[in-house]
Amino acid sequence: MFDLSSTVSKVVFGLLLGLIGLFLFFPLYWLAISSVKSNAELYSIVPTPFPLAPTLTHFVTALTTGKLPMYLFNSLVASGASAALNTLLALYAGYSFAKYRFAGRQPVMLFMLSAQMFPFGLLLISIYPLMSEIGLLDTRTGLILSYIVFALPVSTYMLYSYFSQVPDELIEAARADGASDLRIFHTIVIPISIPPIVTVFLYSFMWSWNDLLYSMTLIVSDEKRTIGPGLLLTYLNEVNSDWGGAMAASLLASAPIVAAFLFLQRYFIQGVTAGAVK
Amino acid sequence: MSVAAEITSAPAPAQVSPHAVRGGLKAGQRRIGMLLLLPAAIAFGLVILYPFLQALALSLFEYTLETPAPRFYGLGNFAKIAATPDVWQAFVTTAIYVFFTTTGTLILGLGWALILNQPFRGRGLLRSMSLLPWVLPSTVSAFVWGWIFNSRYGVLNAFLLELGVIDMPQAWLSTSTGAMIAVIITKIWLSIPLFMAFFLAGLQNMDREQVDAARVDGANNWAILRDHVLPHLRPVLIVVVVLGVIGNLQQFDTIYALTGGGPVRATAVLSVEVYRRAFEQWDVGFASAIGVLWVATLLPPAFLYLRMLVKGA
Repeated sequence: MFDLSSTVSKVVFGLLLGLIGLFLFFPLYWLAISSVKSNAELYSIVPTPFPLAPTLTHFVTALTTGKLPMYLFNSLVASGASAALNTLLALYAGYSFAKYRFAGRQPVMLFMLSAQMFPFGLLLISIYPLMSEIGLLDTRTGLILSYIVFALPVSTYMLYSYFSQVPDELIEAARADGASDLRIFHTIVIPISIPPIVTVFLYSFMWSWNDLLYSMTLIVSDEKRTIGPGLLLTYLNEVNSDWGGAMAASLLASAPIVAAFLFLQRYFIQGVTAGAVK
Repeated sequence: MSVAAEITSAPAPAQVSPHAVRGGLKAGQRRIGMLLLLPAAIAFGLVILYPFLQALALSLFEYTLETPAPRFYGLGNFAKIAATPDVWQAFVTTAIYVFFTTTGTLILGLGWALILNQPFRGRGLLRSMSLLPWVLPSTVSAFVWGWIFNSRYGVLNAFLLELGVIDMPQAWLSTSTGAMIAVIITKIWLSIPLFMAFFLAGLQNMDREQVDAARVDGANNWAILRDHVLPHLRPVLIVVVVLGVIGNLQQFDTIYALTGGGPVRATAVLSVEVYRRAFEQWDVGFASAIGVLWVATLLPPAFLYLRMLVKGA
């Protein structure tokens, strides 16, 4: 796009690359090296740019003495179940919006999408007494159901966009062969839609995994607590701050989502930005 | 991360398939379409629509720990807001937060996308890695920046002291301005990846020949950016700004984890204010009333967003 043959343009390019790059990546570098520094090194007045004597103490402590593994497990259950539920709901709704016509289709879809402007915090004010009334406060089920709030509208829209592009001839041909609507969807459409389905699953998984507010409010007992509030309560409280432990635990808490993301990112970016630039 | 969250859905041109039109002629098809939608519609009604309407209604009730049964209060909660400067302050704080996070992310996200659009070695790897801040859990982002901003052992103070910018360590998170800077920088940092992804996607379908032709005509880099790249990115820019504003207006997690809304109320944006009133002071009606005004601030960007969707469809 730009011509970088002149010295001035090279310098400007290099400077911008360096500065923004530093801003984006230095915190990640600092997270990583702080997790392997000893406490003596962490709490020295002049920070060391490289760990002098790398140690895995913080990781061992986090995994063996704390409740971190339990929080991670709870997050995995809550996020996995809510992502599965959310994907399933969005799958049928997106297909319905894309391939069927019925009264109110367009307004209903726009209304669902506009729900993104309902602040999650405001919804929580009424979700809390609702969950309390139906006996789901402080339960995994309650949290899993509430997590639908985060991703259902966007997921439905992402799948709707994708299904709109599935050729109608494909469906018509199967229908001519006498296949039922559900059968066509399950055996013909879903198998060719794996990438967007995976994207939507990962998208909603990410939202739940990264949540702090809902889990902090709807879950009271420690044994059901997820990783977001779990980290906060364990490492930074009024009494003491264990920064080395916090950094190690942060890496452990990020690992699953980062791994999934790196593995599937190509689909993911396509799904998320789809349509914005058309 | 509540990122940019909302930033993700973007308008796609919605084509009405001819099949859909024909299907609409048959009552059976119509019924199947509605049945497929039903589960999502029920879930939506239960956890999104009902709580929303309920919150709107609660704003007209007095509902506190002392009055466990909601009592109709008319516009009393709104009168209380008018008499509570702390709440006005939350609106100002939110405006400052949203303004700086959105513009900061916009400039850096666009800059980073332009850089990663140039061919150079290692670009692919850099692009993948650039997305990392976005996927980290919000608590983790808050930890990382809390540690960097730490007053005693933080690397930022050490760095600024070394450069001679400051002559004594700053207690970033315990001063009003310092805490605000910290929560804004944290949010910019974690939103850059998503803005960048949108801009990169926009840059990739740009007409190369047009740029080449302009260059032959003697246009320099700056002229190309101003006359070709930025006009081409205008639609993406609008999407990103609108969704960015919606997302930043709602941000809670990183602020709460980093400062808890403090020191005192310095970083208490509306999301934190509503949370504190509802779940710390149990003044539910009052919190709902603030929430209603909060939704009102979201209406203009949400309206723009919906209009773009309708146009796309």
